[in-house]
Amino acid sequence: MPINPAAWKVGLDHYLYLSSLLFVFGMLGVLMRRNVIVILMCIELMLNAVNISFIAFSRYAENVNGQVMVFFVMTIAAAEAAVGLALAVTVFKKFREVNIRFFEHLKG
Amino acid sequence: MLSSQDFLFYFLGALSLIFGLGVVLYRNPIYSALCLVITMISVAGIFATLDAWFIAGVQLIVYAGAVTVLFVMVLMLFDLKHEMKTFSKGVIGNGVKLASSGVLLGMFSTYIWATYATEPTFKPMAAGATSSIKATKDLATSLFTSYLFAFEVIGLLLLVIAVGAVTLSRITGGTHHHAD
Amino acid sequence: MNNQVLFAILLLAPLVGFLINGFRWKSHNATLAGTIATAMVFISFLCSLGLVSQLFGANAVPSVGAKFFDWINVGGLQVPAAFVIDHISAIMVLVVTGVGTLIHLFSVGYMSHDERPAKYFAYLNLFLFNMLLLILGENLLLMFVGWEGVGLCSYLLIGFWFTDADKAAAGMKAFITNRIGDAGFLLGIFTLFFLFGTVSFSEIIARLPNLAEVGWSGPITLACLFLFVGATGKSAQIPLYVWLPDAMAGPTPVSALIHAATMVTAGVYMIVRLNPLFLLAPNALHVVATVGCATAFFAATIGLTQWDIKKILAYSTVSQLGYMFLACGVGAFGAGLFHVMTHAFFKALMFLGSGSVIHAMHEEQDVRKMGGLRKYLPITHATFLIGWLAIIGIPPFAGFFSKDEILWQSFSSPLGNKVLWIFGVATAGLTSFYMTRLMCLTFWGKSRVSKDVHPHEAPAVMWIPLAVLAVLSTVGGWIGIPAVIGGGDNWLERWFEGVIREPSAFGEPIHSHTLEWSAMGISLSLAVIMATLAYTFYVSNPSLPGRLTQKFHGLYRLIYNKYFVDEFYFGSLINPLVDASKGLWAYVDVNFIDRTTYVIGDVVRGVGSTAKSIQNGNMQQYAMYIALGLAVTMFLILR
Repeated sequence: MPINPAAWKVGLDHYLYLSSLLFVFGMLGVLMRRNVIVILMCIELMLNAVNISFIAFSRYAENVNGQVMVFFVMTIAAAEAAVGLALAVTVFKKFREVNIRFFEHLKG
Repeated sequence: MLSSQDFLFYFLGALSLIFGLGVVLYRNPIYSALCLVITMISVAGIFATLDAWFIAGVQLIVYAGAVTVLFVMVLMLFDLKHEMKTFSKGVIGNGVKLASSGVLLGMFSTYIWATYATEPTFKPMAAGATSSIKATKDLATSLFTSYLFAFEVIGLLLLVIAVGAVTLSRITGGTHHHAD
Repeated sequence: MNNQVLFAILLLAPLVGFLINGFRWKSHNATLAGTIATAMVFISFLCSLGLVSQLFGANAVPSVGAKFFDWINVGGLQVPAAFVIDHISAIMVLVVTGVGTLIHLFSVGYMSHDERPAKYFAYLNLFLFNMLLLILGENLLLMFVGWEGVGLCSYLLIGFWFTDADKAAAGMKAFITNRIGDAGFLLGIFTLFFLFGTVSFSEIIARLPNLAEVGWSGPITLACLFLFVGATGKSAQIPLYVWLPDAMAGPTPVSALIHAATMVTAGVYMIVRLNPLFLLAPNALHVVATVGCATAFFAATIGLTQWDIKKILAYSTVSQLGYMFLACGVGAFGAGLFHVMTHAFFKALMFLGSGSVIHAMHEEQDVRKMGGLRKYLPITHATFLIGWLAIIGIPPFAGFFSKDEILWQSFSSPLGNKVLWIFGVATAGLTSFYMTRLMCLTFWGKSRVSKDVHPHEAPAVMWIPLAVLAVLSTVGGWIGIPAVIGGGDNWLERWFEGVIREPSAFGEPIHSHTLEWSAMGISLSLAVIMATLAYTFYVSNPSLPGRLTQKFHGLYRLIYNKYFVDEFYFGSLINPLVDASKGLWAYVDVNFIDRTTYVIGDVVRGVGSTAKSIQNGNMQQYAMYIALGLAVTMFLILR
């Protein structure tokens, strides 16, 4: 790999590539994993990826609004993780199952 | 050679990617949770490279400190005895999932490349410690003036969440009948 | 009272009678139902008298009419609900309402023991209403409404005792055969509307072109032929006559009213109404005359061999209707209408008389079981005798004048020819023979009545109409006494002047008093000879007919079986049609149409269950759809 200093200089686009890659990893996890808790963790991963992109844009545009947005997103994400886990616990207490394919009661 | 800033980015980025992949791929959910912790920490580092010091701190405290701990505790609560398949089966389904993810990734990359290939560089920040304090001060000012209402509502939301979580844990009964 | 009110009462009285008796159709009270019905018809008769009287006298009008409302008003088609009585329909309306009243009166006695007399009288009143629509309608569409209506009532009344399958089948046969004719009639109406842009009688006649104008004869002939098809259906000519003998399954007063006096003459009436139109189509008139003459002769031959008293009269009716069409076909429309009137009198008389006989014989209709009834049924015999004399054409009774007028016209008219006259005279001879045969077998000679039947004379309510009709059969012909006899004017001929045109465009009729006298003489003597012959056959020498039928066994069998016409129709038309329908049902309906609906149901169910499988509760699949949608959307946006 030729080390061309100019091409390797980190810019906005690198952060965005990172963000999108992390996001896609998280999405794949949501789609393909069977454990409910792991799915929740992958959701957190997706949210983090989005946060990276917000902060990058905020730095690029020299605007503090991106960071405000991340502040709120983080709060909400934490709250949502708490509620989701409480639900998972309740469901587990009833059914003793964490396989998401077990809960297909809303079928048509 | 790379500047320290750049090197940090590449290192932390690689870290977060590898361990993010680990979250998705490990069969044991505890391993996934641990990978998630590392990912959170590296993301906090990435925030720091972008001069968002306050947010980095909040990331460490809230995510790495509280959320992942919560995950691990819940995982320990589920004392799973039986084996469980890791990934959902079905070739067509998996194929479609991978394909759509790939397409999305391609879209994002192409768009980013098309838009930001020229002039992607960040303007340099004002040097010194004062810049970080100034950034935080700007954030605080913005939060408490322009976004005050949202800020207060978020507080209310947290209250609701707390009550909700407690209530959920006290639920008994349900409508689903199954052989026990 | 102004004309509109009179017309309204005239038309609506029978309808009101129908409604009253219709709502009470379960009633068993024949007297009450009959009184209502007869009263309504009598009211119509009085109204028609009132209207017709305006055509006489010092300030006579050529016609009286009334318009009630605009019935159809669409584009080029204007059809008012209007009615008119002119010189032609005056005679018809008086005959229909007058004879109708008498027959209603007779029915009160005849149907007194029936299960559902109120229903019967309701139908009878409905029939009269439709007949009045037919006669008085100012345009072809109103006439057609009445035409269809009388067909319907005919069906209802023939199949009145519908619990008997044969009688119900006879009703259906009448209706279906009628409908075939109606198709022709409708085509005629369409053609006329296409040619003249109107369906009103007076308008069509006004717009008729002169005979000399080229290019018109084809379409007008076509229209006339179509109309004649309708007439053959309604008035029982060849080939659609087959329903009339079977129609005898209905109660006898029905046969008298509908199948002798009124409905079957509707075809003749229609042609007479449109006589200027028909006079422009000589080919059509030739067809009419030929069919009429052939039917007359043909039906008379069948009438010779029948044993059912009503069937004999039925074939006689078909034959006499043939005469009427023969008259129209040679351009003697007035003579045809004259014969309609006289035939109404004597045929209704004879049908009612036969009804009295049947009633006396406790529903026995076979003449082989009758005989010598003169002793038991004197009044019936006397009146029937007058009817007999009228039909075989003995002066001064009614039939002589009208029938002779027809025969003379078929000889002398520019549209007539000798062949028609010869067959006409032959038919007159046959008529005389079989009617005398009927008299011999029923009233004269030795009694063959079985021991347990005690015939008794009819009650007054039944013989009074007989008496009235007998009087009419005697004097009815005197309004049309021809010039050669009366020495003066033919009153009827003058009455029809203006509304009935002469076929003068085709040449001069033969004016010869000598020939007229000799023709009259020939037909009269033939009638007397055949009557005597019949008397010999059936009273003096009863074994003679038996021996003759043995000798000509084949011919006798052919005629006795009505020339196998019904069998022919069944074999060639009806059975193939029924088989084709069954085939269509089995192959097209069950296999194809039903299967198509099942397939459609299955397809819908299949699509539904396929669509259902999308929602299987698998959350990750839902997430996959979201991701897929996102990918596609991003692709479309960021392309």
